[in-house]
Amino acid sequence: MLGINDPQIWLAYLLSVLSALGCVIYGLMHWNDKDPLEES
Amino acid sequence: MVLNTAILGITVLIYLMIVFYLGWLGYKRTKAIDDYMVAGRNIHPYILALSYGATFISTSAIVGFGGAAGALGMGLLWLALMNIVVGIFIAFVIFGSRTRKMGKNLQAVTFPELLGKRFNSRFIQGFSGILIGIFMPLYTGIVLIGGARFVETTLGINYDVALMILTIIVAAYVITGGLIAVMYTDALQGTLMFVGMAILLVFTYVRLGGVVEAHQALTNIAYLVPESLVKGGHMGWTAMPEFGSPIWWNLVSTLVLGVGIGVLAQPQLVVRFMTVKDDKALNRAVFVGGPFILMMTGVAFTVGALSNAYFFQKKDMISLAVAGGNTDLIIPEFINSAMPEMFVVLFMLVLLAAAMSTLSSQYHTMGTAIGHDFYRQYIKKGKISHTVDVTKIGIALTILASVVLAYVLPISIIAPATSIFFGLCAAAFLPMYIGAIFWKRMTKEGAIASMLVGTFSSLSWLAFVHAKEAAPLGISQALFGKATLLTGTWTVVDPILVATPLAMLTGIVVSLFTSPIAKEHLEKCFYKIR
Repeated sequence: MLGINDPQIWLAYLLSVLSALGCVIYGLMHWNDKDPLEES
Repeated sequence: MVLNTAILGITVLIYLMIVFYLGWLGYKRTKAIDDYMVAGRNIHPYILALSYGATFISTSAIVGFGGAAGALGMGLLWLALMNIVVGIFIAFVIFGSRTRKMGKNLQAVTFPELLGKRFNSRFIQGFSGILIGIFMPLYTGIVLIGGARFVETTLGINYDVALMILTIIVAAYVITGGLIAVMYTDALQGTLMFVGMAILLVFTYVRLGGVVEAHQALTNIAYLVPESLVKGGHMGWTAMPEFGSPIWWNLVSTLVLGVGIGVLAQPQLVVRFMTVKDDKALNRAVFVGGPFILMMTGVAFTVGALSNAYFFQKKDMISLAVAGGNTDLIIPEFINSAMPEMFVVLFMLVLLAAAMSTLSSQYHTMGTAIGHDFYRQYIKKGKISHTVDVTKIGIALTILASVVLAYVLPISIIAPATSIFFGLCAAAFLPMYIGAIFWKRMTKEGAIASMLVGTFSSLSWLAFVHAKEAAPLGISQALFGKATLLTGTWTVVDPILVATPLAMLTGIVVSLFTSPIAKEHLEKCFYKIR
């Protein structure tokens, strides 16, 4: 995959990109989250 | 270096003018202790994310670790993954929120103070402060040397002068503007780093004919790995080293786990969670931080490894050979020969920004550790009131110590400084830090025992077992007549894998055998923390 034969390497490559994407999605989903305990 | 000095000179000058403007802004906005120490607990999420990232990523992360990827290959991408998942996501979402709230509940302005107040112990605060004050200058020394070497080679200035200029510029805005100035300039430097690394990635793939083509070209030249590395377990730049081989242990234990986990207990990074107003800011910072770190370490490791394919096509040589065996020269050699001249100018600025952003935070953290945590709180028992003044003197003294160390210590001792500091922080602080924010049952005695066991087991492992540091340090050789006390695989196992679990275990056992912290104090610590 991706010109890399060792799955241990292309997995790391893909997971790095996906985890950064995950951070973006998490940030967007919780953009306006408020902590109920701190509301008061 | 084939570089238009005039263009570079003007670019650096403009950059420095903006840095000074931001430093001045920090000075103007600093009115109270909280401003100077934790940026008024009201920093913008974008600035938090970039400041955290730019502090985290120094020149050595790009040039040093990128060069290591040039030698060891793309296996380092596991570290990039750790940097994003542990260094950003877990750090911000799991640790960040609790750290921020507890910092506010206890009115703590530094990482040692957070720990000290949580466990009701000035000793914890003082000991942590002195540990940071002693070992961080080593780590700062290596960043300083790297930055000064850059100024020396690109601007053609004498090394000693370069070192002084760099020190004075950074010292000026850190001492006067405190953490606000540090974080504003970090954000500018982080933006520059992001743009520079993005261009580097695109150019590298274009030069090699595309993403898959580039990787394939690298896979195809696995037979060129030097014999000495093959013996150590190297199986090509697009393959993991042989399981259990010395290179595998170095890659997995020191680089991936040591640096990957060590980041959680870095005082200069933890303090940043206390600079924002609410959890919303932390979540928004994750949005910026994830892609930022991918663009830093992900790109550096990929490009470092791919430089082999480029040099093979152009010069019929692998990167290590082009760099004359010095991995630190792989990235600069690659930039100089593969990138357009304008980009070389930009990239030089990226490296200067990376050095300055890490240095400024190190100075601030060391200064607060010595001035506030050790001297004011521990020695003077909090009796003198001028926190900011004492901290400024602390910063000045630790800057001086870093410069002296950069001159006095041989490079063989300073070179492993980053991993020494990361390992030490992970062992001494991480178990106690986890206990502080997650485990109410952890006692003062448990925390102290864990900190002491972590510190001394980590240092002993470094001095007597882990060959990479034990050999150049020479303490084991002098005392026992042999380079390391243990032999075989032990000498390549990083201290973090031994000292951190040991400290963790000590903390748990001692806590269970001592009486818990008073309920009222815990209620104060965990106020509004679920």
